[in-house]
Parts: sequence; structure tokens; C-alpha cells
Amino acid sequence: MIQLRDVSFSYADAPALAHIDLHIERGEALALIGPNGSGKSTLLKLLNALVFPQAGAYLFDGEEISHAHLKDQHVAKSFHQRVGFLFQNSDAQLFCTSVYDEIAFGPRQMGLPESEIEKRVNDSMRLLDIEALSPRIPYHLSGGEKRKVALASVLVLNPDILVLDEPMNGLDPRTKHFLRDFLISIRASGKTIVCATHDFEYVEGVFDRAAVFSMKHELVRTGAYAEIIGDRDFLMANNIV
Amino acid sequence: MHPSLRLVSSFLLILFVSLSRSIYFLAVVGTYELVVMCLMSGPKIAKVLKTSFVASLFAFVIFLPSALWGNWPGVLAVAAKVLLSVAAAALVSATSPWSEISRALSSIRVPDIFILVLDLAIKYISLLGGLVLDMLYALKLRSVGRNRDKTASLSGVAGTVFLKSKEAADEMYAAMECRGFSGTYRVAVRRGFSARDYVFIAVNVLILSLFFFLQGA
Repeated sequence: MIQLRDVSFSYADAPALAHIDLHIERGEALALIGPNGSGKSTLLKLLNALVFPQAGAYLFDGEEISHAHLKDQHVAKSFHQRVGFLFQNSDAQLFCTSVYDEIAFGPRQMGLPESEIEKRVNDSMRLLDIEALSPRIPYHLSGGEKRKVALASVLVLNPDILVLDEPMNGLDPRTKHFLRDFLISIRASGKTIVCATHDFEYVEGVFDRAAVFSMKHELVRTGAYAEIIGDRDFLMANNIV
Repeated sequence: MHPSLRLVSSFLLILFVSLSRSIYFLAVVGTYELVVMCLMSGPKIAKVLKTSFVASLFAFVIFLPSALWGNWPGVLAVAAKVLLSVAAAALVSATSPWSEISRALSSIRVPDIFILVLDLAIKYISLLGGLVLDMLYALKLRSVGRNRDKTASLSGVAGTVFLKSKEAADEMYAAMECRGFSGTYRVAVRRGFSARDYVFIAVNVLILSLFFFLQGA
């Protein structure tokens, strides 16, 4: 479904990704692991076509994703409908004046009729147990509530792939457990999950594969999640635990 | 109630109050506003009254020199008009969340992109205000003893807030793009009126017709 071929990317002052080769299958749950600044967030941005490879190629269902390819608005909308992104900083993702409008933003941009939007928004709120928040102002919510609203605003588009950047960051234990169970159920429904995480304690049972980044912004190992998490020496050597 | 009706009604009330030369019309509008306030909760009434009286007092103080020259009726009329106009705006603000007001703006043909800018401005005033407050607390905690050069840190605070706001704006645009935004912002507009809306329209038409009727009184 997703294929990265020798992808490299640099910001003006620093490299972020170096020669990344990665293949992600449909329905797979992949954890991206690595120390701070190793390139995980940049890779997630690249998967969402917010940045594009400076070298190498990013293929999505066999089509190369590039700036030129996404210039066509229909192609861009269809791509963004299929790939949902949960940002690390929920404040960046919430910009509407009520939770309802926030969740409805995506479907409205896709041009869906208002009756269909209402049904989808209500379903998403019920799924995340946030119906009571519907009229509230998103940026006045607590951290956990903001994260749930942000997740609902992504899921309302029913994406095939859910990309999450440190979803457990700054959450209380109960919300972390809720999110873990939620990710397991999402995975069971056949969605593909790609998630950058440091919070190994709370993501048990979510992932089947892991990809490990080094401080040199290279992919140093991919394999079964349980096997990699069990290799303490390897994780310590790469500044992960 | 339909949010655009509240918005249009308060706009017309403010306009007609400012044009009116009749004390009776001002009394009618004042009575109407008091009746609307009676339907609200205590804290909301207190908020509306406080805002209106502070604005009215401010206008009164500004025009006080004119009163000292003997123009008491004119000064009292200005203070009363400010009181009623600010109360009309405060009533809309107290009874309608911002999300409804932005929908109302859309239904009276204000461009959606302008509404988006307003929405974002309000959000970032709140978020960046919190950030500045945190930075000032941090500065206070690190200032030991008497600091005669407090203003030296202000440029640092302003610079950091600017950079953070730029970062937040870039990230937010990326989040919007991920959800299908391509330059056109669509605001949902509520269509159709309920029975309550028609009663509201009738009351407002009656008050505004009194403006013409009472001009000569």
C-alpha cells in the first residue's frame, strides 16, 4: 500500500531522513520508534504529503506522491480522505468554534451533503464518547478531550490509513488506556495504522511491526514489534530506553 | 432562535437607537432589553449590565465637559444611547456562542474566508495570551530581588511569541490541508425559521415601527 524507496529529506539547516526504504502493507499496524529528532515526525508528514521526498520516491497504491501529482484538487482531496493524520499538538489541529464544526470540517471540505455530515459527526462523537462536548469551544477543552476531538475529526472521513504522531503524549493514564483500546479496535476493523511512539507501556497489543530510527536519521531495523521491544540492548544502544 | 435574526436585530436596534431623538423610543428599547435579560441566568445578567454600565459611564465622563457648559440633556442622551447599544451587543454575545455568531455572519453573506480569519484570530488571542502569561510567570520566578530592567526581557518575549505563532500557523495550515482544505472555507448555514423566530421578528418589527411613530413625540 505504501512504499518508500531510498527517501531522503532535509530541512534548511539539518537532515531529517536519510535513505529510508520502507514498505507498509494494507491492514498493518506499524510503530515508528526512535530518539527525539531522529526523523519520525518528518516521516509522518511525508506520508501525509505535507512534505515531499527530496530524493527517492513515495508510492501510495502504486502512484508516486509528489507536489505535481497533488496539484489536482480532486487527487489531493481523495488522497487526504484516505490518509488521516493525528498531530502531536492537538491545538494545531483544532481551529473551529465548536466541537461539532471541528469534526464536520473535513466532510464539509469534501463537499458532502449536510445530512450525511450530521450522521457522520454524530457517529464519530459516539465512537469516542464525546457527544456531550458537541457545543463546546475546542481550544478550551482538557488535553485528553482535545486529543479525542482531534481523533474524531480525522476518523469522520473514514480514512484507510491512520497516521498518529505520539498520540499518548501528555494524556492521563485513563485516556491512554482508552486510546490503546480504541487503536486495537480500529486495527481489528482493518485500518492501517502508522504511529510514532515513545510510550511503550501503553501501546501493548496495538502493533505487529516496528521500524527503528537512529540519531543519523536512518532506518536501522524493522521487524516484529514484540521482538524489537524485547531487545533491551538494541534499544539502549539507540537511545530508546 | 435563528442566530442571524439576533445579529440583524441587534444591529438595527443599535442603528435606530443612535438615530433616535425620542426619549420614549429609548425607554421602549430599554424595556425590551430588560425583558430579554429577565429570561437569562443571574451571572449573564450581571455580565451584560456590568459591560453596559461601564461603557455608558465612560461615555458620560468623556462628554462631561459639554455638560459643564450646560448641555446636560445631550450628555445624558449620549450616555443612555451608549448604555442601550452596548447592552444590545452584550445580549447577543451572552445568548449566542461564537460558533452561532459566525454562522449568522455567513447567513448574512459575510464571505466565509473573512469568518475563518475572525475564528482564527479569536482562537489565537486565547492561545497566545496563555503563552505570554506563562512566559511572564517564568520571568517573574527567575527575577530575584529588585529588577530595574524589566523591559529588557520584553523584546525576547515578543520575539518568541512571534516565532511560536508562525510555527502554530504553519502547523494549523498543514492540519487543514490534511482534512481536505484547498483554499475555500465552507461554513454551514442554518436555513428556515421556527415559530419562536417569527414571534421574535414580530416583536422587533413592532419596536422598530415605534421608532417612526415616536419621532414626533
